[in-house]
Amino acid sequence: MTMHMLGKTLLLPFLLLLSLSLSGQSSDGDKLIGVWEPSHGKARVKVEKIGNKYFGKIVWLREPQDPETGEPKMDRNNPDEAMRSTPLRGYRLLKDFVYNGNGEWTEGTIYDPENGTLYSCVITLTDENTMDIRGYIGVKALGRTDVWKRLQMKGK
Amino acid sequence: METFADEGQVKLLMHSHHTLTVVLVLLLLAASPVLHAQQDSIPTPTDDEEDYSMYDDLDFVDEKAKRFCSQKIFDQSPQRFISVMWDAQGPYDLSFSSLGSYPEDADAPVAEQGRANYTGGLRLQANIPVVSRNTIIWQLGATYWDTRYNISPTSTTESSAGLMRILGDRGLRTAGLNTTVFKPLDETQFLIFQASADLSGNYFLDDPLGLEYLRYSAAVVWGKRPHDRLQWGLGMSRTYRVGAMNYIPVVMYNYTASNRKWGTEILFPARAHYRRTFNPRSLLLAGFELEGQSHRIAELSTTANSLEIRRGELRLRLEHQRQLKGFIWLSVQAGYRYDWTFDADDLPEGREFFRGFFGDQPFAMLNELGGALYGQVGIHLVSP
Repeated sequence: MTMHMLGKTLLLPFLLLLSLSLSGQSSDGDKLIGVWEPSHGKARVKVEKIGNKYFGKIVWLREPQDPETGEPKMDRNNPDEAMRSTPLRGYRLLKDFVYNGNGEWTEGTIYDPENGTLYSCVITLTDENTMDIRGYIGVKALGRTDVWKRLQMKGK
Repeated sequence: METFADEGQVKLLMHSHHTLTVVLVLLLLAASPVLHAQQDSIPTPTDDEEDYSMYDDLDFVDEKAKRFCSQKIFDQSPQRFISVMWDAQGPYDLSFSSLGSYPEDADAPVAEQGRANYTGGLRLQANIPVVSRNTIIWQLGATYWDTRYNISPTSTTESSAGLMRILGDRGLRTAGLNTTVFKPLDETQFLIFQASADLSGNYFLDDPLGLEYLRYSAAVVWGKRPHDRLQWGLGMSRTYRVGAMNYIPVVMYNYTASNRKWGTEILFPARAHYRRTFNPRSLLLAGFELEGQSHRIAELSTTANSLEIRRGELRLRLEHQRQLKGFIWLSVQAGYRYDWTFDADDLPEGREFFRGFFGDQPFAMLNELGGALYGQVGIHLVSP
C-alpha cells in the first residue's frame, strides 16, 4: 500500500467519525427547539433554529391586551423609544444561542420586557422537557435561574 | 470648641473602609463593561406571519410540572446585589444620663450634654444568590455599616459615663451576615424566611467583638401573590429595629396600580413606602424605615457584663432610585431621623433578655437624641 492510499484509508473513517460527531452535536442542540413556558406562566416561547443559532420568540401571552388601552401589549419598557410600539407577541426575547456540545446553549441573551433589560444568558436542559435558563450580569454568580417547561398540543 | 475624635483610630478605620470599598467597587466595575455592551444590543421583533392561535391549547409534556409564583411584582424597586452607600446626619443635640438603674419613665439625671455636628459614614452591603430557581431562591448577604460622630460637649458632670467621648473616639460599627429564603408553594402562595447575625459596637475591624456578642434577628412570612401587581403576607419577626430585641408581627403589602404609575412597598413595621414609578429605570419612594441595633460599648463593659446602646431610629424619607447604566443604579435619599431610642441596657455576661413593650426591666442609661435631617447616597449593582 502506498503512502497515498494509506492516507486515504485512514482519512475516510476519521471524516466519517467527524461527520457523525458534528451531526450528533447538531441534533443534541436541536433538543432546544419547541414551545416552552416560563415558571410564571404568563407567556409561551417558541424556540427555533435560524442558521446555526437558536432564537426564542413570544407566541402566546396570558394577558395579550394592555388593560389600560385595550390594544395588544407593546414593548413599552424598551429603552429604545423606536421599539416601544412593537407588539410583544412575536418578539424574539431569546437571541443568538449557540450549542457548545456540552449540554449548554451559550453566547445568547434574554430580554425582559417587564423592565426593558437585556441579560447575558446560558441555557441547559435538565431533562428533555425542562430547561434551566439563567440570566446574569457580568458573571454567572450574579444572576437568576428560571425553569421553563416544554409544552405540547393538548391530548397528545 | 473641643471635639471628640482620635486621629490614629480614624486613620485605621479609614484603611479598613478603604479595603472593603475597593473590593466592592472593583466588583461593580467588573460587571459594568458587560452591562454596557448588553444595553447596546436591543432585541428585534420577528418579521414572520404566524397563526398564534395554535399556541392557545397547549399542555405541559411533563404532567407533574407545576407553576410557581415569582418573588417580585411589577415595577417593584430593584433588588440589590452590591451596594456602596454614604449616610450623613445633620447637627442635633444629645443628652446622656449617668450609669445607673432606671425605670423606662424615670426622670434620670442628665450627666452630659452636647451637640453632634456630624454623624454618619460608609455602608456596604452585598446580597448574592446561592440558589436561584423557580422552586426556591436562597441568598446570602453581608453588611458593614460604620457610623462616626463629631460631638461638641456643652456640659459634663462628674457622674458622666463619658459616652460622648467614647462615641467621638471610636464611633459605632455593625458587621453581619444574613440569609433570605423565598420558597414559592404554588402559583400564588409563598414563604419567606430571613435571618441575620450581627456584631454591633464600638469595635474596630482589626479588633472585632467576640462571637458571644452576636445578636440574631429573624423573620418568617407567609404570603399570597394573587396577581402580578399584588403580593401580601403576614408573619412574625425577632428584631432589633426598635433598639432592644423584640418580637413583632410583620405585615407585607407590595402593590402596583393597574396604570403602573404608583404602588406601595410595605414590610411593616420595618419599612413602608409609597412608590411613584416614572419608568422602569426611575422611581421615587416616600415613607419610612425603622433601623436599629444593639451596640456593645467596650469601655463601659467587662467580662461580667455588656453595656449595650439600644439604638433605634425612625427615618422619614424620600428616596429617588434611577438606573445609571445597565445594572448600575443610583439612590439618593433625604429625610428626617427621629430618635426612637438610644437608651442602654446592662446585659449580665452579654446574655440577651426580652423586655418587649411591656417588660419592666430597668435601663442602665436613659439617653436622648434630638431629631436631625439626614441624607444618603448610594450606588448599587441590581439583580436581574
